[in-house]
Amino acid sequence: MANLTSDQATQLSDNFYSLAMAIGDFRYENWDKLSFEENKELSETQNMLLQTGEDILAFSTTLIMDETIDSLAKINSITGEIQDSIKKLNSIQKGLNVAAAILLLGVAIVNRDTKGIGDSIKGVYETWQAPIL
Amino acid sequence: MNKYLLKSRLTLILFALSIVGCVNLKSVGDFSASSIESIKNFEQIDYSFLQHCLDRCAEEAIRLYEIKRAQECSCALYEEADSVAQVFYNTIGGYFEGLGLLSQNELTNYSSEALIGALTTQEVGPLQIDERTASAFSSLSNTLLRASTDFYRRKKLAKYIEEANEPIQVLLEKFEVIVSTNLKGELRFKRERLYAYYMDMKMSRTVVSEYEKGQATADYYQALGEIKRKEMELAVFGKSLAEIAKGHQVLYENRNELSVKSLQNLAKGYSSNIKGLISEFKKLNH
Repeated sequence: MANLTSDQATQLSDNFYSLAMAIGDFRYENWDKLSFEENKELSETQNMLLQTGEDILAFSTTLIMDETIDSLAKINSITGEIQDSIKKLNSIQKGLNVAAAILLLGVAIVNRDTKGIGDSIKGVYETWQAPIL
Repeated sequence: MNKYLLKSRLTLILFALSIVGCVNLKSVGDFSASSIESIKNFEQIDYSFLQHCLDRCAEEAIRLYEIKRAQECSCALYEEADSVAQVFYNTIGGYFEGLGLLSQNELTNYSSEALIGALTTQEVGPLQIDERTASAFSSLSNTLLRASTDFYRRKKLAKYIEEANEPIQVLLEKFEVIVSTNLKGELRFKRERLYAYYMDMKMSRTVVSEYEKGQATADYYQALGEIKRKEMELAVFGKSLAEIAKGHQVLYENRNELSVKSLQNLAKGYSSNIKGLISEFKKLNH
């Protein structure tokens, strides 16, 4: 037998709701004709129909999950790719900072500035190690 | 090369590049921002499947006049339904947040202060570069960088929008069903139970005095009004999901022209509709 779909479950829930309403209307229209026991029994049935309809509606929601599992996985994967692209764009700023640090190192080398070379190497290293924001 | 000739050529190149580089992804950014704001309203909805189950237990206890030390309520199915809704909320919200971030111009506003500093504070080999020329070089490199990253962003956004359209349409549609049909549908049962409770009271003639009759009627309509407000809140939230789906479809159909003015106006229309629904939701929520 084929599995119940969420749409079918929602439709079933609608049917339970309509039945519960119909029983309620019947009770109120025939209130004086019904014995206490008959009325009580109908009231319990009406209540059970309402509860079952509510449960089916909640169940229908869980069925949606199974029906959309592929779409959920696809969107999660695309979101991951978008985040990767954003990280790549952020790392360009780091590249700019490293380039500036390397330029200072180059200047220090050209000028044969021993202390400047040491400082610049440290600067390049620190810039490179800095976290990507 | 003549210094002035170099400067004038630099200015011309800069001007040309600034036009090319000024890619406008505002339509995607604005649409994503209003979509996120609207989706986040899900957290503001003061009703859930679990709440419905707990209310039902309380209503049953009142109907049967059951007094227990602790309320006995089995709501596992309803908790599961809430967790499904939460998965949809997180997945859809996460996608639009990513889309919004990738389309933000702030993402490619790179600072080149370090580079200017490096060019001006030291002698670059045998050359001494003055601050204005250094700024021009820096500005040029930034514009080039911006142009290439904007191109990259447009290309990536078009790709993501294309790939995401089909699944996001499915998810938005189903999320709308969860909220507007299923959760709102539970309230219909609550309404019917309320009606049965007060009708039974009336038909059994358990309420005798005129004052009590008036009070019972007032209580009934007050409770009914509260249910109605929640139903409207859920309906408005559902409408905003449908509007987001339509807006994303427009982005998808125009994914290769993300910077075109007509698309901006079109997307603006959807953003504005979503904002209208956000405002309507807030009025119902407070």
